[in-house]
Amino acid sequence: MEYVLKNGIVYDPANKVAGEKKDVMFKDGKIVDSVSADAKVLDVTDKIVMPAGIDPHAHVAGPKLVVGRIYRPEDSRKGVTHKTDILRSESGFSIPSCPSTGYRYSRMGYGTVVEAAVPPLEAKHTHEEINSTPNLDIVPLSLFGNNWFVLQYAKQNQIEDLAGFIAAWLRLAKCYGVKIVNPCGSEAWGWGMNVHGLDDPAPYWDVTGREVVTALAKANEMLGLPHSVHVHPNDLGHPGNYPTTVSTMEALKDIEKNSTVRGQTMHLTHAQFHAYGGTSWRDADSGADYIADYVNNNDHVTIDVGQVTLDETTTMTADAPMEFDLYKLSGLKWANKDVELETAAGIVPVIYSGKAPVNSLQWAIGLELFLKVNDPWKVCLTTDHPNAGPFIRYPRIISWLMSNERRQEMMDNREVHPWSHRRTSLASLEREYDFNEIATITRAGPAKIYGFQDRGALTPGFNADIAVFDINPNDIDPSRNHEAIEKGFSSAMYTIKDGEILVKDGEIVKVVKSHTLWTDVKGMEEQEKRVMDRVMPDFTKYYTIKFENYQVHDKYLPNPIVTEVQAGK
Amino acid sequence: MKTITFNQKKTSQIALEFDELIPDEVYSWEKADFEKYMVPIGNSRFPLTDYFDIEVEGSAESPEEIKMILNGDYGRVKYIGTKMGAGEIIVNGPVDLHCGSQMKGGSILVNGDAESYAGREMEGGSLTIMGNTREFCGCSYIGDWRGMNGGTITIHGNAGKQLGECLSGGSIYVKGDCDILAGIHMTKGFIQIDGDVTRWPGGQMKNGDIVINGELGRLLEGFVQQEIVENPEIDGKDFSGKYIKYTGDIALNGKGRLWLDAEKNRHLLY
Amino acid sequence: MANYEPPVTDYESIVENCTCAFCGCNCDDLDYLIKDGHVVGVRHACRLGASKIMEDMDQRLLVPMIRGEDGELAETDWDSALDKAAELIAGAVRPIFYGWSETSIETMHHGLELGELVGAVLDNQATICHGPSLQAVQNAGYPISTLGEVKNRADMCLYTGSNAMNSHPRHMARYSTFPRGYFRPRGRFDRTVVTLDPKYSDTAKMSDIWVGFEQNGDYEFYNAIRAVLKGKKLQKEFISGIPKEDVEELAEAMKNVQFGALFFGLGLTHTLSKQRNIDIAIQMVADLNSYTKWILMPMRGHFNVNGFNIFMAFETGFPYGVDFARGYQRYMNGETNTIDLLTRKECDVFMVIAADPGAHYPGGAVKHLAEIPVIQVDIHWGPSTEIADVVLPGSFVGVEVGGTSYRMDGVPIWMKKAIDKPETCRDDEWIIKEILERVKKIKAEQGALASK
Repeated sequence: MEYVLKNGIVYDPANKVAGEKKDVMFKDGKIVDSVSADAKVLDVTDKIVMPAGIDPHAHVAGPKLVVGRIYRPEDSRKGVTHKTDILRSESGFSIPSCPSTGYRYSRMGYGTVVEAAVPPLEAKHTHEEINSTPNLDIVPLSLFGNNWFVLQYAKQNQIEDLAGFIAAWLRLAKCYGVKIVNPCGSEAWGWGMNVHGLDDPAPYWDVTGREVVTALAKANEMLGLPHSVHVHPNDLGHPGNYPTTVSTMEALKDIEKNSTVRGQTMHLTHAQFHAYGGTSWRDADSGADYIADYVNNNDHVTIDVGQVTLDETTTMTADAPMEFDLYKLSGLKWANKDVELETAAGIVPVIYSGKAPVNSLQWAIGLELFLKVNDPWKVCLTTDHPNAGPFIRYPRIISWLMSNERRQEMMDNREVHPWSHRRTSLASLEREYDFNEIATITRAGPAKIYGFQDRGALTPGFNADIAVFDINPNDIDPSRNHEAIEKGFSSAMYTIKDGEILVKDGEIVKVVKSHTLWTDVKGMEEQEKRVMDRVMPDFTKYYTIKFENYQVHDKYLPNPIVTEVQAGK
Repeated sequence: MKTITFNQKKTSQIALEFDELIPDEVYSWEKADFEKYMVPIGNSRFPLTDYFDIEVEGSAESPEEIKMILNGDYGRVKYIGTKMGAGEIIVNGPVDLHCGSQMKGGSILVNGDAESYAGREMEGGSLTIMGNTREFCGCSYIGDWRGMNGGTITIHGNAGKQLGECLSGGSIYVKGDCDILAGIHMTKGFIQIDGDVTRWPGGQMKNGDIVINGELGRLLEGFVQQEIVENPEIDGKDFSGKYIKYTGDIALNGKGRLWLDAEKNRHLLY
Repeated sequence: MANYEPPVTDYESIVENCTCAFCGCNCDDLDYLIKDGHVVGVRHACRLGASKIMEDMDQRLLVPMIRGEDGELAETDWDSALDKAAELIAGAVRPIFYGWSETSIETMHHGLELGELVGAVLDNQATICHGPSLQAVQNAGYPISTLGEVKNRADMCLYTGSNAMNSHPRHMARYSTFPRGYFRPRGRFDRTVVTLDPKYSDTAKMSDIWVGFEQNGDYEFYNAIRAVLKGKKLQKEFISGIPKEDVEELAEAMKNVQFGALFFGLGLTHTLSKQRNIDIAIQMVADLNSYTKWILMPMRGHFNVNGFNIFMAFETGFPYGVDFARGYQRYMNGETNTIDLLTRKECDVFMVIAADPGAHYPGGAVKHLAEIPVIQVDIHWGPSTEIADVVLPGSFVGVEVGGTSYRMDGVPIWMKKAIDKPETCRDDEWIIKEILERVKKIKAEQGALASK
């Protein structure tokens, strides 16, 4: 089937198309240069056309999501909708059910989402949820930062074996890349403790976060994975944590990049939570300058923000000790899930309120990061869904980024607490994003960061993943029309995935199965064998599951998209 | 003023759901509208008139002007008055689950017993039950730490377990006896029980007042005896006689107050 | 030596790393000894698991049956039985699909689709066992871990309202008390085992500490421990029948371990305060985490009871007792749960998959089941067969057919197939899918008729 999207205003940053009126054509699921006269014409005159959205960091599928859904029926109840002829009923606000997750991303013009934390032991669970989430391609990242075998390889600085371990475990868990969460801290949580800073060793293991992050980054580059290490540094959410964040970035500064498809060797995730100054919540202030300066002056780091949206939400992270601290502050119900030999996770409901000084400060720091990082290719739009807010708020964040007037108004009329401008420089930042920059931070940038070669751009041969929004960029002043911007990006005029029209005028018209992206490393067979010989005795002794039953069988990935990587190349 | 009268023709084994038949929705309805209406039963809908004769008298411009009189056995009719904002509902008979739940205003009078979840998440208005209620009267939705936060529930009979669970405002009066764990997890609000209480009122409470004028069977260790107060003022109301005042639940550093009639509860003094 | 059974030596092949389809331990280290297409011996399993697996043909349902006018079940062919089941379901006003805890997630997918299509209530055994635990989790939180964390780290294992030695025989052996873990190299000797139970159970007998508080005293007991943890001097001499000094001593001991694990069973969920016993135990565990590390875990009964809760939560947002009657999901304890709907006589068609309500339900509920059409999908004859109107013989997950299950701690396991099912039986997944297809057909015909 051939289509022409006619007369749209196209934003395709990867191809340096910034607001040109042109046609976009696709055939049999791929973008093409030309189509025949039989092609079906979709008139999108003066509407915004972009590649479909790519969310580089969210929590949408897996064991901790399900704990959230099980234990927050009061959240599930909020989003309940009636079933229709083609849609199942939805549920949830901050932790939507799997079908709801797919539908809601699809309505916003998104096509790809990264699930940022998969414990390999429970990877089957994540894959089951991915299969129940329609209309999206999902990219799972596997957790390595507190894995006992990783701790040992890092301590002994055996990078080649560690690379073999990563290659083997990505295949076992069917994941795309390497995620690190609070390295050594989640292991310390096994004893109810945490580590503080990059050089505080995990109890009993005598290895520090610095050693773990560095070793994993080196191994990641040895393999030449399509994505860099994806780092959630230590001390998340603690006032005065920005030095830890900066030293984590500095620790990886000299690691040589071994990839042609991406620019960075480290992706710093939900940077907002890692950009606090002060010594306690009493005197906390913004550390956004330090993070933004580092990113502006160094090319090896990219970030996503984790913008606070001022909603009641559910926080969930593999940074379990932080979640317990949060529970002690709020007194609301605390869930926790430690996973043997691998990781831990905590879950706590949180009410972010513009009336609360701390939440308002967090809100402002996030926006500062967006506005202070000069190169939009280095920063991505996320809320660390659902941690800082649900992903359905992305359009609202876009409206804030495009309108200084709106930001000032919120501070002036006290929609946010005065800490938002007293303790940050947000009030002095006049920068406003344009549509091309929005397309970069929601599409082209994340695609580059993940090394995607089939999406995130309207390049011929790429997947026909396209979003059209009912906004005429030549006829709107986003600065003064924040509501129209939010509305426009909330419901896509078209969402097209692999050449199929899934959404029309904000309504889902077709439901398709999702794909799962994972990375298959070749050329490490010898190292992998050595690693398995070393790992198996401990595996048998300390896991509570047999190795045969540990791996994710192909059955759990009915629609895989495999990226094959030749190690070292 | 408009009076809408339901006279029951037959009962249903499978419960009817009345959430769409509140004054806010039906104030402009005429008899013909009710005759067209299909009421949810299980996974289907059936004509309302299969079950009720309906009379409509007078006219109304707003829900405030509505009086609904429901005659018969409503022991299989759920969600009576759910989310209602105004008007008056009088039920001459027993009611099923969720009567007056999430109610925002107006009044409901039940001349009979009420099943569980009466007044769940109530925000305003008044709910009066002349008979007994079962469990979770004036509670929260499961999982939510914010329960009933306004309005008044008065139960002239006995109340079941976990009365006022997660109460965060409003008042609950029980003229009869009450079962275990009244006011569990409550954070605010007022509960007064005139009859006897079996065990453990106020478990895991953070704040608010519970007054027991009858005899209490067993008290939790989480409550600390403070003093005996004569003629106390509690939640802005004057009480006469001597009351033992406890605070708790200290397991949560709670600042809740439990007031027991001193005469009837000497056995708990230490 | 009267009880001595010689080891099985007469077998043809071994299938290793099979997963036990009995309790929530989902032990995945079993070796099946196979001969003539049957499992003749099972290595590593406990007696409960081994007997279930080996006696797979005992009272086995082999052919579809329909209860006739005469009130007797009569054999029939698959088409007739499935059509009958579909017809009943398509015509129901308040159908319940109950069970699921002894079948695979793959089967549940079709069941959920069917439930959404017709507007049924989907519920599982949680409704009669750990439902109160889930309610408590929803109120108070869920601090859990996988079982390997306990094995590798725990120096105190506390069982409350659970007689694991009888109900989950390998729990203590494989996961908690006895195994040698990374930080507990001496296994049992590195751990203190505590049992809180009014009954001097087999688990209590092999514990280091047994606290036999009075029946129904659970809530008060945990409240007192929490008060002690907050620094309060206890006032009453006895708390739920236990001297206050003992309560204080226990609280102190719990504070001073490195890693504690509390396992609770139906003894906690089904006494007077029901879900509030768990609620307060969860909060006690949260309190203890201010001093040291503690986790807790419900001792889930069936091998996939947790799986159903997980599956329903990710598909619908709610874990069990989910009502689709109005075209969207509702979850309300006491309203959308099986027992309430049966004792209120609301349910009009009941489908039971891999469960035995006839054996487990309270009298009033079973009485109503006897009065309404019941469709049974199962592998064994049981009390539920006696009240069933349509019987559809399924196959044995983890033995005759593969499937996904979730262990009590949420670890997903692929339970592989080891032998072929009896020729006349069908897989649960196939049966439910067939019913779904047939109901869809009936609905389409009804729709076509209505539009004329």
